[in-house]
Amino acid sequence: MTITGASAQTWPIAVSGLKNLAGDDSQSISSRFDRTLSRDLTLSGYYTLVDPHTFIEDPQKSGYQLGQFNFDDWKSIRAEFLVKGSVQVSGGKVQITARLFDVYQQRSMMGKTFSGDPDEVPRMARRFADAVLEVVTGTKGPFDSKLAFVSTRRGRFKEIFTQSIDGQDLFQVTNNPTINLFPMWDHNADQLLYLSYKTMAPALYIANLVERRETRIDTHHGRIIGGAISPDGHRIVAAIENAGATNLYLMDSEGNEIRELSDTGGINVSPSFSPDGQTLAFTSDRSGTPQVYTMSIEGGAPKRITYSGEYNTTPAISPKGDSIAYQSRSGGRFDIFKIPIAGGTPEMLTDGSGSNESASWSPDGRYIAFASTRGGRSRIYILQVESHKIISTLTEGNGNDTNPSWSWWLGD
Amino acid sequence: MIRIHRGRGGSVTRTAGVMRIVAAALLCCSLGAAGCSSKKAQGVDNLNGAGSQVGTETDKSTLEKNASGEGVIGGQGGPLTDIHFGYNDYTVQPQDSSILRANATWLQDHPDRNVQVEGNCDDRGSEEYNIALGAKRAQSAKDYLTTLGISPGRISTISYGKELPICHEQDESCWQQNRRDHFVVSGGQASR
Repeated sequence: MTITGASAQTWPIAVSGLKNLAGDDSQSISSRFDRTLSRDLTLSGYYTLVDPHTFIEDPQKSGYQLGQFNFDDWKSIRAEFLVKGSVQVSGGKVQITARLFDVYQQRSMMGKTFSGDPDEVPRMARRFADAVLEVVTGTKGPFDSKLAFVSTRRGRFKEIFTQSIDGQDLFQVTNNPTINLFPMWDHNADQLLYLSYKTMAPALYIANLVERRETRIDTHHGRIIGGAISPDGHRIVAAIENAGATNLYLMDSEGNEIRELSDTGGINVSPSFSPDGQTLAFTSDRSGTPQVYTMSIEGGAPKRITYSGEYNTTPAISPKGDSIAYQSRSGGRFDIFKIPIAGGTPEMLTDGSGSNESASWSPDGRYIAFASTRGGRSRIYILQVESHKIISTLTEGNGNDTNPSWSWWLGD
Repeated sequence: MIRIHRGRGGSVTRTAGVMRIVAAALLCCSLGAAGCSSKKAQGVDNLNGAGSQVGTETDKSTLEKNASGEGVIGGQGGPLTDIHFGYNDYTVQPQDSSILRANATWLQDHPDRNVQVEGNCDDRGSEEYNIALGAKRAQSAKDYLTTLGISPGRISTISYGKELPICHEQDESCWQQNRRDHFVVSGGQASR
């Protein structure tokens, strides 16, 4: 069966344990793989997990290939999809083979073999989850990627953190008792652009998390208060404040100016690049209220995109480049909307609960991560764009989590 | 850390290029920098504490006070008085012009002192837009003081956006308190 489009309906899937061929007697590797895969499939919004307590079959006593197990054991507990597989550990390396089965048609749909170090097992599960979505929906899933966000979980101060989409590998990027905002991944998810007041004044930084060093972007035009990094990592658009006016400048990644993009006495902020790096969406108050505009990075006249609502800001161009997500204020709180990149009718994606801010697209374009106060303190949530379904929180912890940035796929 | 499963093919291209390293190296602890006390420190805490001498010791910026645990103090935190703004507005309100005149008089009486105007917003807008709006508010006060004869070279500005509220309730009275310019005086040497 093929699932086209998203709906409120979810498909029951059973994630059976991996059969231990060698070296995983405690099933610790199998359980890490299953736990990560199960979480990612749940976050996709397409699946409901069949409760493992209802499983009839013992994966250690049956096979994992077609003909080596009984589909009736899975049909009788109402699983429509089934994941089975094997694990073997030798010489410190893990090899996992996983397979997706269609229970009703009693056929194998897809299989993958992964090998690597034991600490790479969760990432093998994420890649398998992405492959499950690809074979079932036609589009690769977005879970082999990273989330950056701002959090006050370690105290009063806003610091920048990263984690996997499924909530593992929490890493604290900044640790300064000031203000850190607006993390944004480069295309490789090696570098994070962010704004920090760590010198007691705002400045833009590029932290290279792989090489563990960072660059501060300096300019003679004034103070940088925000920015975006281009998909190829070679360009930055910075919002620079000078004598009260904030304008956008195109720069290279060392802060050398290429051109001034806006030139008003007002406010021009929150730039977002299109996937081809040629178009920008941004917020400007040139009409008298904050509204979303687009313009070419070559310069020229901006085009106003949003007309309904008196406070529309923080645009994010979708990975396909066909639409813009943004936040629109209503009664002192925000909702996330989507609008065609050429303008048109806005579509409200969130449901009016809490304040919903800072949309960031998943690399496959099917999901948006956003910050919401719907549960009290601010958390990062995942929304399925087509169905408007708010699937889950992505962050847990004390403090407020804001400013999500969903990276591109991590690649090989 | 991030490197994982670089198996079959697929080399990872790096786009590092030539970078101007302004900041110090990351991970001060692992590099054994002096004065780094936390063994668990990670990330890019490299400039913490550096460049924080904006004013004199007795005239810290609100951010410095906040960072050192003294909290956010508004209103009567110094010899100059705060002014306030309308929602999403950065024009000096008529009722605040007398405050700015008094602030200008104090600065004229203390020619060896400089002032940093700190622009702030209530928490109902987006973070980045509010930083720009706070900059507008700080500039409005600077322009006003300049027209009253204070040299612009004595007046610096900074915006904290909605990041340093002095009131945390969700009501108009609180929002009004947070939409403020706060004035921090510093010693005789020009601070920036």
